[in-house]
Amino acid sequence: MYKTEVRGPLILGDKNYRQISSDIIAPIDRPAPLWWKAVFGLGILATLFGLFAMYQTVAKGIGTWGVNNSVGWGWEIINFVWWIGIGHAGTAFSIFLLILRQKWRTSINRAAEAMTVVAVGAAAIFPALHMGRVWLAFYIFPYPNSRGPLWVNFNSPLFWDFIAISAYLLISASFWYYGMVPDFATIRDKATSKIKKAVYGFFAFGWTGSTSEWLRYEALSYVLGGIAAVLVVSVHSIVSTDFAVSVIPGWHTTVFPPYFVVGAIFSGFAMVMTLMIIIRKMYKFQDYVTNSHLDAIARILIFISLIMGTAYATEIFVAWYSGSQYEMFTFFKNRITGDYTFQFWAMVVCNAIIPQLFWFKKIRQNLTIAFIISLLINLGMWYERFNILITSLSKDYLPSSWVTYHPTWVEVGVYIGTLGIFITGVLLFFKFIPMIAISEVKSILKVTSIKKNESKISSHGQ
Amino acid sequence: MDNKHIIGVFDEEDALMEAVHEVKEKGFRIGEIYSPYPLHEAIEAMGKTSRFAFVAFLYGFAGAAAVLAFMYYTAVIDWPVNYGGKPTNAFPSFIVVTIIITILTVTILSLLTFSVRAKIYPGKAYILPDARSTDDKFVVIFDKSLLNGKQTELEDILKQKGAVEVYEKELKPEN
Repeated sequence: MYKTEVRGPLILGDKNYRQISSDIIAPIDRPAPLWWKAVFGLGILATLFGLFAMYQTVAKGIGTWGVNNSVGWGWEIINFVWWIGIGHAGTAFSIFLLILRQKWRTSINRAAEAMTVVAVGAAAIFPALHMGRVWLAFYIFPYPNSRGPLWVNFNSPLFWDFIAISAYLLISASFWYYGMVPDFATIRDKATSKIKKAVYGFFAFGWTGSTSEWLRYEALSYVLGGIAAVLVVSVHSIVSTDFAVSVIPGWHTTVFPPYFVVGAIFSGFAMVMTLMIIIRKMYKFQDYVTNSHLDAIARILIFISLIMGTAYATEIFVAWYSGSQYEMFTFFKNRITGDYTFQFWAMVVCNAIIPQLFWFKKIRQNLTIAFIISLLINLGMWYERFNILITSLSKDYLPSSWVTYHPTWVEVGVYIGTLGIFITGVLLFFKFIPMIAISEVKSILKVTSIKKNESKISSHGQ
Repeated sequence: MDNKHIIGVFDEEDALMEAVHEVKEKGFRIGEIYSPYPLHEAIEAMGKTSRFAFVAFLYGFAGAAAVLAFMYYTAVIDWPVNYGGKPTNAFPSFIVVTIIITILTVTILSLLTFSVRAKIYPGKAYILPDARSTDDKFVVIFDKSLLNGKQTELEDILKQKGAVEVYEKELKPEN
């Protein structure tokens, strides 16, 4: 057993096991606070607006969008990639850090996984709508059909994408759910009302916490963790092949898979930071989401930001080094200078420069600034996807087909709708599910605050 | 049916483990140990092992073979499509789908295996000797019928090792 002295104690306030359960369950027992209701209402409004925009899309067709022959992929694919990117941190957090036996993940992984499930769900809406006739979406399943049987094209990155996203959604949701089973049992056994006991009891699947359950539970989590670690890398690599296997200038590059994966983890970690600061502030979870947790995330963000900067520089270098005039044009005349200068430099500043402020300890510890930076990173990541898609598509090889692209209110509406779905989903999670993995936090209590407890070892539980 | 058990409740992981080792030495058979978080020492003391990783490997192997065979059948045998003269058995580009479906197979079958082996499923009638064990207590139980009249000796050991409560209870499934 090792001790995480480098990071300081991960649970503050000299807790005992019972306090941990009651602290984390408390928001479920309390009525929802006012801010929760207000934001939830906003989320519902945004969702309804989004549903209306989706209805327009399906009822009238893709013509309600601003996309055209040249810019065939507009806001929908930008937002699809953006949400998938955000959805990467859950797996990165719980699985990479599980395999690396990083104990600081225990306070954060539950929220990160919830965020993943909601974000990937929101992302999946876009390609489905983009099919145009969404009621025929089942054509993409390879099943023995009456059309031949005509099978799907297993060589197409778009099909890989469909497989990758659906598998990712399913796997991250089940990983998340099985992580919650012991905590549901805790709520069941502490519940005073009959309805609550029945509901959480149902979701707890009859968990008791016996050794034969824990043995298989841990084995399962390591098997799933080990195998799903591949997904962290594969899902966004596959998304990047949607672009990289084409012949569009600015897309046709081998750096895309790692560049996308790192970008995804970057935006995901930034969103985790946003959420953890909210959880810490609004639910007063300072004892569980400590400064050292946020400090660790900030340090990771510095590192990933450096990789992002390197990736941007590499792309530009390769554009010049390739000797291809089209690549040169895209990068130097249509991104660094030209019509899309603002979007390009917004991306560079938000992703590669601003996060470098985290080198300063004062900024890492100032949660207001950290919160703003975490939001700016996701703004920058949105601009990154905008750059990749719109600059490359709007001006490709044939100047006669150059166009400008503007989203219509329907496209903006669908995006607002997914923001609404994300917000309501996350708020429901705050209200009905323990935000922090209770059993996992209990398991690190002794290890992380061992010094404090040595002197008064009997302080736990009375 | 008589299902009486002796139940020892502990506040501390260390106290529980000391008691467990002591009673094992004295030849008592432990029924089960319940804890709020996984205790590796307790799992070892119960002598339990799992072949989960090996089984998961088999699932993955089967999944990979099945999906490759399926793609070969559809793309080469059943409906070959000529993509500019490229080979219909496009093995390298089948790899991506193979990896993802392999992971999916392992996940789904592992979850089912877990459900079957650990007996965790919706609507299960479970036996929880002391409801506080999912919160903050560590609980060890002994089947009374196996004690052969050495009940007082057992209770003494448990208490001496720091059990906060030792009592007798008939276990019934809850729902």
